[in-house]
Amino acid sequence: MIFYLLLPFVTIFLVVLQTTLADVFFSGWLTLELSLVVVIYAGFRLDLMKGIILAFMMGFVFDCVSGATLGLFTLIYLLVFLLSFFVSLRMVSEKLYLIALFSLICSLLESLTLVLLYHFAFEFDMLSNMLLVFVPQALLIGVLSVGFFYAMRKVEGLIYGKQMQPPQRSGTGGISAEA
Amino acid sequence: MFFKNYRTVIFVGAVIVAALILLSYSLKYDSGTSFVKKLVLEAASPVQKFFNTSIGGVENAWMRYIHLVGLEEDNRNLKNKIAGLQAELILYKEGYQEAQRLKKLLSLQDDHQSNFMSARVIGKEQAALSKTLWINKGSAHGLTPGMPVLVPPGLIGRLTDVSWHSSKVLLLIDENSNVDVLIQRTRVQGIVRGAGSRGCVVRYISKIQDVKEGDVVVTSGISNIFPKGLLIGKVSHVDRMDVGLFLQIRVAPFADFATLEEVLVLVDQQQKVSAEKKTVK
Repeated sequence: MIFYLLLPFVTIFLVVLQTTLADVFFSGWLTLELSLVVVIYAGFRLDLMKGIILAFMMGFVFDCVSGATLGLFTLIYLLVFLLSFFVSLRMVSEKLYLIALFSLICSLLESLTLVLLYHFAFEFDMLSNMLLVFVPQALLIGVLSVGFFYAMRKVEGLIYGKQMQPPQRSGTGGISAEA
Repeated sequence: MFFKNYRTVIFVGAVIVAALILLSYSLKYDSGTSFVKKLVLEAASPVQKFFNTSIGGVENAWMRYIHLVGLEEDNRNLKNKIAGLQAELILYKEGYQEAQRLKKLLSLQDDHQSNFMSARVIGKEQAALSKTLWINKGSAHGLTPGMPVLVPPGLIGRLTDVSWHSSKVLLLIDENSNVDVLIQRTRVQGIVRGAGSRGCVVRYISKIQDVKEGDVVVTSGISNIFPKGLLIGKVSHVDRMDVGLFLQIRVAPFADFATLEEVLVLVDQQQKVSAEKKTVK
Protein backbone atom coordinates (compact mmCIF):
# COMPACT_ATOMS: atom_id res chain seq x y z
CA MET A 1 0.00 0.00 0.00
CA ILE A 2 2.83 2.34 0.88
CA PHE A 3 4.22 1.66 -2.57
CA TYR A 4 1.07 2.97 -4.26
CA LEU A 5 0.84 5.95 -1.92
CA LEU A 6 4.43 7.01 -2.41
CA LEU A 7 4.60 6.23 -6.10
CA PRO A 8 3.11 9.51 -7.46
CA PHE A 9 5.40 11.65 -5.29
CA VAL A 10 8.53 9.63 -6.03
CA THR A 11 7.68 9.67 -9.72
CA ILE A 12 7.21 13.43 -9.81
CA PHE A 13 10.39 13.93 -7.80
CA LEU A 14 12.40 11.70 -10.12
CA VAL A 15 11.08 13.18 -13.35
CA VAL A 16 11.63 16.76 -12.19
CA LEU A 17 15.09 15.84 -10.93
CA GLN A 18 16.09 14.30 -14.26
CA THR A 19 14.76 17.29 -16.19
CA THR A 20 16.68 19.70 -13.97
CA LEU A 21 19.91 17.71 -14.07
CA ALA A 22 19.69 17.30 -17.84
CA ASP A 23 19.26 21.05 -18.13
CA VAL A 24 22.27 21.69 -15.90
CA PHE A 25 24.63 19.14 -17.43
CA PHE A 26 23.59 19.05 -21.08
CA SER A 27 21.67 22.31 -21.54
CA GLY A 28 18.79 20.45 -23.19
CA TRP A 29 20.99 18.52 -25.60
CA LEU A 30 20.38 15.14 -23.97
CA THR A 31 17.71 13.90 -21.62
CA LEU A 32 19.01 12.24 -18.52
CA GLU A 33 16.30 9.60 -18.58
CA LEU A 34 16.52 8.12 -15.10
CA SER A 35 12.84 7.26 -15.39
CA LEU A 36 13.58 4.81 -18.20
CA VAL A 37 16.27 3.15 -16.08
CA VAL A 38 13.80 2.88 -13.20
CA VAL A 39 11.24 1.27 -15.51
CA ILE A 40 13.83 -1.25 -16.72
CA TYR A 41 14.78 -1.93 -13.11
CA ALA A 42 11.09 -2.41 -12.29
CA GLY A 43 10.88 -4.92 -15.15
CA PHE A 44 13.65 -6.95 -13.54
CA ARG A 45 12.64 -6.58 -9.92
CA LEU A 46 8.93 -5.87 -9.44
CA ASP A 47 5.90 -8.03 -10.05
CA LEU A 48 3.75 -7.37 -13.07
CA MET A 49 1.00 -5.44 -11.30
CA LYS A 50 3.24 -3.04 -9.43
CA GLY A 51 5.58 -2.66 -12.36
CA ILE A 52 2.87 -1.84 -14.86
CA ILE A 53 1.43 0.82 -12.57
CA LEU A 54 4.89 2.29 -11.99
CA ALA A 55 5.61 2.34 -15.73
CA PHE A 56 2.26 3.96 -16.46
CA MET A 57 2.75 6.56 -13.76
CA MET A 58 6.32 7.28 -14.75
CA GLY A 59 5.43 7.66 -18.41
CA PHE A 60 2.40 9.81 -17.71
CA VAL A 61 4.28 12.18 -15.41
CA PHE A 62 7.13 12.38 -17.90
CA ASP A 63 4.61 13.24 -20.62
CA CYS A 64 3.13 15.98 -18.46
CA VAL A 65 6.42 17.49 -17.34
CA SER A 66 8.31 17.21 -20.63
CA GLY A 67 5.41 18.60 -22.67
CA ALA A 68 5.35 15.61 -25.03
CA THR A 69 2.13 14.33 -26.53
CA LEU A 70 0.12 12.90 -23.67
CA GLY A 71 0.34 9.10 -23.72
CA LEU A 72 3.51 8.90 -25.81
CA PHE A 73 6.01 8.07 -23.09
CA THR A 74 3.27 6.34 -21.15
CA LEU A 75 2.95 3.80 -23.94
CA ILE A 76 6.70 3.57 -24.53
CA TYR A 77 7.43 2.99 -20.84
CA LEU A 78 4.71 0.34 -20.64
CA LEU A 79 6.26 -1.47 -23.59
CA VAL A 80 9.77 -1.14 -22.17
CA PHE A 81 8.54 -2.49 -18.85
CA LEU A 82 6.90 -5.48 -20.48
CA LEU A 83 9.99 -6.14 -22.55
CA SER A 84 12.19 -5.94 -19.44
CA PHE A 85 9.81 -8.14 -17.54
CA PHE A 86 9.90 -10.86 -20.16
CA VAL A 87 13.64 -10.54 -20.66
CA SER A 88 14.14 -10.87 -16.90
CA LEU A 89 12.58 -14.33 -17.11
CA ARG A 90 15.56 -15.38 -19.20
CA MET A 91 18.28 -13.07 -17.82
CA VAL A 92 19.20 -12.00 -14.29
CA SER A 93 20.48 -8.64 -13.36
CA GLU A 94 23.85 -9.64 -11.85
CA LYS A 95 25.69 -9.29 -15.11
CA LEU A 96 25.87 -5.56 -15.29
CA TYR A 97 27.23 -5.40 -18.83
CA LEU A 98 24.13 -7.27 -19.97
CA ILE A 99 22.00 -4.75 -18.13
CA ALA A 100 23.94 -1.93 -19.82
CA LEU A 101 23.43 -3.56 -23.20
CA PHE A 102 19.75 -4.16 -22.57
CA SER A 103 19.23 -0.58 -21.37
CA LEU A 104 21.02 0.70 -24.45
CA ILE A 105 18.73 -1.35 -26.68
CA CYS A 106 15.67 -0.14 -24.80
CA SER A 107 16.79 3.45 -25.22
CA LEU A 108 17.38 2.95 -28.93
CA LEU A 109 13.95 1.32 -29.26
CA GLU A 110 12.43 4.26 -27.48
CA SER A 111 14.19 6.64 -29.86
CA LEU A 112 13.09 4.59 -32.83
CA THR A 113 9.50 4.70 -31.62
CA LEU A 114 9.73 8.44 -31.26
CA VAL A 115 11.20 8.85 -34.74
CA LEU A 116 8.51 6.69 -36.28
CA LEU A 117 5.68 8.30 -34.40
CA TYR A 118 6.82 11.82 -35.22
CA HIS A 119 7.32 10.78 -38.83
CA PHE A 120 3.85 9.32 -39.23
CA ALA A 121 1.87 11.50 -36.88
CA PHE A 122 3.46 14.91 -37.46
CA GLU A 123 5.43 14.26 -40.66
CA PHE A 124 8.46 15.50 -38.79
CA ASP A 125 11.82 13.94 -39.63
CA MET A 126 13.83 13.24 -36.48
CA LEU A 127 16.24 10.84 -38.12
CA SER A 128 18.94 13.50 -38.31
CA ASN A 129 19.03 13.50 -34.51
CA MET A 130 19.89 9.84 -34.39
CA LEU A 131 23.67 10.16 -34.26
CA LEU A 132 23.86 13.43 -32.40
CA VAL A 133 21.21 12.84 -29.76
CA PHE A 134 19.77 9.36 -29.61
CA VAL A 135 22.98 7.34 -29.74
CA PRO A 136 24.78 9.41 -27.04
CA GLN A 137 21.62 9.27 -24.98
CA ALA A 138 21.42 5.49 -25.33
CA LEU A 139 25.05 5.20 -24.25
CA LEU A 140 24.35 7.47 -21.31
CA ILE A 141 21.40 5.35 -20.27
CA GLY A 142 23.54 2.22 -20.56
CA VAL A 143 26.06 3.75 -18.15
CA LEU A 144 23.36 5.09 -15.83
CA SER A 145 21.62 1.74 -15.67
CA VAL A 146 24.81 0.02 -14.52
CA GLY A 147 25.21 2.56 -11.73
CA PHE A 148 21.55 2.38 -10.80
CA PHE A 149 21.39 -1.41 -10.71
CA TYR A 150 24.59 -1.59 -8.71
CA ALA A 151 23.37 1.01 -6.23
CA MET A 152 19.99 -0.68 -5.87
CA ARG A 153 21.66 -4.05 -5.31
CA LYS A 154 23.57 -2.49 -2.41
CA VAL A 155 20.38 -0.92 -1.06
CA GLU A 156 18.56 -4.23 -1.28
CA GLY A 157 21.44 -5.85 0.55
CA LEU A 158 21.19 -3.27 3.29
CA ILE A 159 17.41 -3.52 3.63
CA TYR A 160 16.79 -7.23 3.19
CA GLY A 161 20.17 -8.56 4.27
CA LYS A 162 20.46 -10.30 0.92
CA GLN A 163 19.52 -9.49 -2.62
CA MET A 164 15.82 -9.54 -3.35
CA GLN A 165 15.09 -11.86 -6.27
CA PRO A 166 11.65 -12.96 -7.22
CA PRO A 167 11.56 -16.77 -7.29
CA GLN A 168 10.11 -16.98 -10.77
CA ARG A 169 13.09 -15.05 -12.18
CA SER A 170 16.16 -17.07 -11.27
CA GLY A 171 17.64 -16.71 -14.74
CA THR A 172 18.35 -20.44 -14.95
CA GLY A 173 16.48 -20.79 -18.19
CA GLY A 174 18.97 -18.86 -20.27
CA ILE A 175 21.96 -16.62 -19.81
CA SER A 176 24.19 -17.36 -16.81
CA ALA A 177 23.36 -15.57 -13.61
CA GLU A 178 26.88 -15.70 -12.20
CA ALA A 179 29.06 -12.67 -12.51
CA MET B 1 -13.17 -17.96 -12.94
CA PHE B 2 -11.72 -16.78 -16.21
CA PHE B 3 -11.32 -13.25 -14.95
CA LYS B 4 -9.73 -14.45 -11.72
CA ASN B 5 -7.12 -16.51 -13.58
CA TYR B 6 -6.27 -13.84 -16.10
CA ARG B 7 -6.79 -10.82 -13.87
CA THR B 8 -3.21 -9.57 -14.21
CA VAL B 9 -3.13 -10.10 -17.95
CA ILE B 10 -6.43 -8.31 -18.36
CA PHE B 11 -5.19 -5.47 -16.19
CA VAL B 12 -1.99 -5.13 -18.21
CA GLY B 13 -3.96 -5.22 -21.43
CA ALA B 14 -6.34 -2.60 -20.10
CA VAL B 15 -3.51 -0.31 -19.09
CA ILE B 16 -1.88 -0.59 -22.51
CA VAL B 17 -5.18 0.05 -24.23
CA ALA B 18 -5.71 3.05 -21.98
CA ALA B 19 -2.30 4.38 -22.92
CA LEU B 20 -3.06 3.86 -26.60
CA ILE B 21 -6.39 5.63 -26.30
CA LEU B 22 -4.73 8.47 -24.42
CA LEU B 23 -2.10 8.81 -27.11
CA SER B 24 -4.60 8.59 -29.94
CA TYR B 25 -6.86 11.13 -28.29
CA SER B 26 -3.97 13.51 -27.69
CA LEU B 27 -2.74 13.15 -31.25
CA LYS B 28 -6.17 13.69 -32.72
CA TYR B 29 -7.54 16.47 -30.56
CA ASP B 30 -4.49 17.96 -28.94
CA SER B 31 -6.75 19.19 -26.16
CA GLY B 32 -4.05 21.28 -24.53
CA THR B 33 -3.77 21.00 -20.83
CA SER B 34 -6.08 18.43 -19.35
CA PHE B 35 -7.17 18.41 -15.74
CA VAL B 36 -4.87 15.51 -14.83
CA LYS B 37 -1.93 17.17 -16.53
CA LYS B 38 -2.66 20.36 -14.61
CA LEU B 39 -2.73 18.34 -11.43
CA VAL B 40 0.64 16.76 -12.20
CA LEU B 41 2.18 20.10 -13.12
CA GLU B 42 0.77 21.66 -9.98
CA ALA B 43 2.33 18.90 -7.91
CA ALA B 44 5.63 19.11 -9.81
CA SER B 45 5.87 22.87 -9.45
CA PRO B 46 7.17 23.00 -5.84
CA VAL B 47 9.64 20.21 -6.56
CA GLN B 48 10.87 22.10 -9.60
CA LYS B 49 11.18 25.27 -7.52
CA PHE B 50 13.13 23.38 -4.89
CA PHE B 51 15.57 21.99 -7.44
CA ASN B 52 15.92 25.29 -9.21
CA THR B 53 16.65 27.06 -5.94
CA SER B 54 19.17 24.43 -4.89
CA ILE B 55 20.92 24.35 -8.24
CA GLY B 56 20.74 28.13 -8.44
CA GLY B 57 22.43 28.29 -5.05
CA VAL B 58 25.16 25.90 -6.12
CA GLU B 59 25.60 27.77 -9.39
CA ASN B 60 25.78 31.09 -7.56
CA ALA B 61 28.31 29.72 -5.10
CA TRP B 62 30.37 28.35 -7.96
CA MET B 63 30.16 31.55 -9.96
CA ARG B 64 31.03 33.50 -6.83
CA TYR B 65 34.03 31.27 -6.33
CA ILE B 66 35.11 31.82 -9.93
CA HIS B 67 34.46 35.50 -9.42
CA LEU B 68 36.54 35.42 -6.24
CA VAL B 69 39.42 33.81 -8.09
CA GLY B 70 39.34 36.74 -10.47
CA LEU B 71 38.89 39.12 -7.57
CA GLU B 72 42.09 37.98 -5.97
CA GLU B 73 44.07 39.23 -8.92
CA ASP B 74 41.95 42.37 -9.14
CA ASN B 75 42.51 42.93 -5.45
CA ARG B 76 46.26 42.57 -5.86
CA ASN B 77 46.26 44.98 -8.79
CA LEU B 78 44.10 47.46 -6.91
CA LYS B 79 46.33 47.26 -3.85
CA ASN B 80 49.34 48.00 -6.03
CA LYS B 81 47.45 50.84 -7.60
CA ILE B 82 46.43 52.18 -4.19
CA ALA B 83 50.03 52.01 -3.01
CA GLY B 84 51.10 53.93 -6.11
CA LEU B 85 48.35 56.49 -5.64
CA GLN B 86 49.21 56.89 -1.96
CA ALA B 87 52.81 57.55 -2.86
CA GLU B 88 51.64 60.06 -5.44
CA LEU B 89 49.29 61.63 -2.92
CA ILE B 90 52.10 61.98 -0.41
CA LEU B 91 54.16 63.70 -3.09
CA TYR B 92 51.28 66.05 -3.86
CA LYS B 93 50.76 66.79 -0.16
CA GLU B 94 54.44 67.44 0.20
CA GLY B 95 54.30 69.72 -2.81
CA TYR B 96 51.26 71.51 -1.43
CA GLN B 97 52.87 72.05 1.96
CA GLU B 98 56.04 73.24 0.32
CA ALA B 99 54.00 75.64 -1.78
CA GLN B 100 52.34 76.94 1.36
CA ARG B 101 55.68 77.51 3.03
CA LEU B 102 57.12 79.18 -0.03
CA LYS B 103 54.04 81.35 -0.23
CA LYS B 104 54.71 82.54 3.30
CA LEU B 105 58.33 83.17 2.42
CA LEU B 106 57.24 85.18 -0.59
CA SER B 107 54.85 87.20 1.52
CA LEU B 108 57.73 88.00 3.87
CA GLN B 109 59.79 89.04 0.87
CA ASP B 110 56.97 91.33 -0.28
CA ASP B 111 56.58 92.82 3.20
CA HIS B 112 60.21 93.82 3.50
CA GLN B 113 60.78 94.93 -0.09
CA SER B 114 64.32 93.61 0.13
CA ASN B 115 66.43 91.29 -1.92
CA PHE B 116 66.09 87.77 -0.53
CA MET B 117 67.55 84.48 -1.55
CA SER B 118 65.63 81.36 -0.72
CA ALA B 119 67.49 78.29 0.49
CA ARG B 120 66.60 74.82 1.60
CA VAL B 121 67.56 73.46 4.99
CA ILE B 122 69.82 70.46 4.47
CA GLY B 123 70.89 69.80 8.02
CA LYS B 124 70.22 70.71 11.62
CA GLU B 125 72.45 70.68 14.60
CA GLN B 126 70.46 70.97 17.77
CA ALA B 127 73.07 69.91 20.29
CA ALA B 128 73.22 71.37 23.78
CA LEU B 129 75.98 73.80 22.90
CA SER B 130 75.15 74.54 19.34
CA LYS B 131 71.92 75.45 17.59
CA THR B 132 72.67 75.77 13.91
CA LEU B 133 71.26 74.94 10.49
CA TRP B 134 72.87 74.00 7.22
CA ILE B 135 71.41 75.49 4.09
CA ASN B 136 72.08 74.59 0.47
CA LYS B 137 73.29 78.00 -0.73
CA GLY B 138 76.75 79.45 -0.31
CA SER B 139 79.20 82.03 -1.62
CA ALA B 140 78.63 80.82 -5.16
CA HIS B 141 75.12 82.22 -4.79
CA GLY B 142 76.28 85.50 -3.38
CA LEU B 143 76.00 84.73 0.31
CA THR B 144 78.44 86.08 2.84
CA PRO B 145 78.83 85.58 6.59
CA GLY B 146 76.60 87.76 8.77
CA MET B 147 73.63 87.85 6.43
CA PRO B 148 70.29 87.69 8.30
CA VAL B 149 68.21 84.58 7.83
CA LEU B 150 64.45 84.79 8.07
CA VAL B 151 61.34 82.71 7.96
CA PRO B 152 57.80 83.97 8.40
CA PRO B 153 57.14 85.91 10.47
CA GLY B 154 60.64 87.10 11.32
CA LEU B 155 64.31 86.62 12.06
CA ILE B 156 65.76 83.22 12.96
CA GLY B 157 69.51 83.88 12.86
CA ARG B 158 72.46 84.81 10.68
CA LEU B 159 75.03 83.18 8.48
CA THR B 160 78.28 82.34 10.18
CA ASP B 161 80.25 79.96 7.98
CA VAL B 162 79.77 80.18 4.25
CA SER B 163 81.28 77.70 1.86
CA TRP B 164 80.77 77.65 -1.90
CA HIS B 165 77.52 75.78 -1.99
CA SER B 166 76.35 75.59 1.61
CA SER B 167 76.24 77.79 4.65
CA LYS B 168 75.83 77.52 8.37
CA VAL B 169 73.13 79.53 10.11
CA LEU B 170 73.58 80.48 13.74
CA LEU B 171 70.10 80.43 15.22
CA LEU B 172 68.78 83.03 17.61
CA ILE B 173 68.47 80.41 20.32
CA ASP B 174 72.15 79.52 20.15
CA GLU B 175 73.93 80.80 23.25
CA ASN B 176 76.56 82.49 21.10
CA SER B 177 73.94 84.55 19.32
CA ASN B 178 73.52 88.21 20.27
CA VAL B 179 71.16 90.55 18.48
CA ASP B 180 70.40 94.19 19.19
CA VAL B 181 66.70 94.50 19.85
CA LEU B 182 64.09 96.80 21.19
CA ILE B 183 60.78 96.28 22.90
CA GLN B 184 58.29 97.38 20.27
CA ARG B 185 55.78 98.98 22.68
CA THR B 186 58.22 101.03 24.77
CA ARG B 187 61.18 101.26 22.36
CA VAL B 188 63.54 100.13 25.12
CA GLN B 189 66.74 98.66 23.72
CA GLY B 190 68.50 95.51 24.79
CA ILE B 191 70.38 92.54 23.49
CA VAL B 192 68.75 89.19 22.78
CA ARG B 193 70.88 86.21 23.59
CA GLY B 194 70.15 82.60 22.83
CA ALA B 195 69.13 80.37 25.72
CA GLY B 196 68.87 77.01 24.00
CA SER B 197 65.67 75.13 24.60
CA ARG B 198 64.35 77.97 26.78
CA GLY B 199 64.28 80.27 23.75
CA CYS B 200 66.04 83.62 24.25
CA VAL B 201 66.67 86.12 26.95
CA VAL B 202 66.88 89.89 26.67
CA ARG B 203 69.77 91.42 28.54
CA TYR B 204 70.80 94.85 29.60
CA ILE B 205 67.37 96.35 30.16
CA SER B 206 67.19 98.28 33.36
CA LYS B 207 64.77 97.35 36.11
CA ILE B 208 63.12 100.70 35.86
CA GLN B 209 62.02 100.10 32.29
CA ASP B 210 58.48 99.17 31.45
CA VAL B 211 58.51 95.66 30.02
CA LYS B 212 55.57 93.29 30.28
CA GLU B 213 54.80 89.78 29.26
CA GLY B 214 53.44 89.72 25.72
CA ASP B 215 55.54 92.64 24.51
CA VAL B 216 56.86 92.14 21.01
CA VAL B 217 60.60 92.15 20.53
CA VAL B 218 62.02 93.37 17.19
CA THR B 219 65.47 94.08 15.82
CA SER B 220 66.72 97.57 16.53
CA GLY B 221 68.88 97.93 13.42
CA ILE B 222 71.67 99.54 15.41
CA SER B 223 74.49 97.18 14.49
CA ASN B 224 73.68 97.37 10.76
CA ILE B 225 73.78 93.58 10.59
CA PHE B 226 70.01 93.20 10.80
CA PRO B 227 67.51 95.62 9.33
CA LYS B 228 65.31 97.41 11.78
CA GLY B 229 61.94 95.98 12.74
CA LEU B 230 62.38 92.25 12.08
CA LEU B 231 60.20 90.25 14.44
CA ILE B 232 62.01 88.08 16.94
CA GLY B 233 59.52 86.97 19.55
CA LYS B 234 57.31 87.82 22.45
CA VAL B 235 58.25 88.43 26.05
CA SER B 236 57.19 85.35 27.93
CA HIS B 237 58.44 86.13 31.40
CA VAL B 238 59.80 89.19 33.22
CA ASP B 239 61.66 88.77 36.49
CA ARG B 240 62.23 91.92 38.59
CA MET B 241 63.17 90.15 41.83
CA ASP B 242 66.72 89.36 40.90
CA VAL B 243 69.49 91.16 42.75
CA GLY B 244 71.16 92.55 39.61
CA LEU B 245 70.64 95.88 37.89
CA PHE B 246 68.83 94.47 34.91
CA LEU B 247 65.58 92.71 34.28
CA GLN B 248 65.59 89.01 33.57
CA ILE B 249 63.40 88.80 30.46
CA ARG B 250 62.64 85.64 28.64
CA VAL B 251 61.56 85.77 25.02
CA ALA B 252 59.69 83.08 23.11
CA PRO B 253 60.76 83.26 19.45
CA PHE B 254 58.05 83.49 16.82
CA ALA B 255 59.70 80.88 14.60
CA ASP B 256 59.44 77.18 15.30
CA PHE B 257 63.04 76.07 14.91
CA ALA B 258 62.15 72.39 14.89
CA THR B 259 60.16 72.57 11.66
CA LEU B 260 62.33 74.73 9.44
CA GLU B 261 62.66 73.49 5.88
CA GLU B 262 63.10 76.58 3.74
CA VAL B 263 64.57 79.91 4.74
CA LEU B 264 65.21 83.28 3.20
CA VAL B 265 68.59 84.99 3.35
CA LEU B 266 68.49 88.75 3.24
CA VAL B 267 71.24 89.54 0.76
CA ASP B 268 71.02 93.24 0.12
CA GLN B 269 71.35 94.21 3.80
CA GLN B 270 74.93 92.92 3.85
CA GLN B 271 75.64 94.55 0.52
CA LYS B 272 74.36 97.82 1.97
CA VAL B 273 76.63 97.45 4.98
CA SER B 274 79.64 96.67 2.80
CA ALA B 275 78.90 99.65 0.62
CA GLU B 276 78.61 101.89 3.67
CA LYS B 277 81.93 100.57 5.03
CA LYS B 278 83.64 101.25 1.71
CA THR B 279 82.19 104.80 1.68
CA VAL B 280 83.53 105.45 5.18
CA LYS B 281 87.00 104.23 4.15
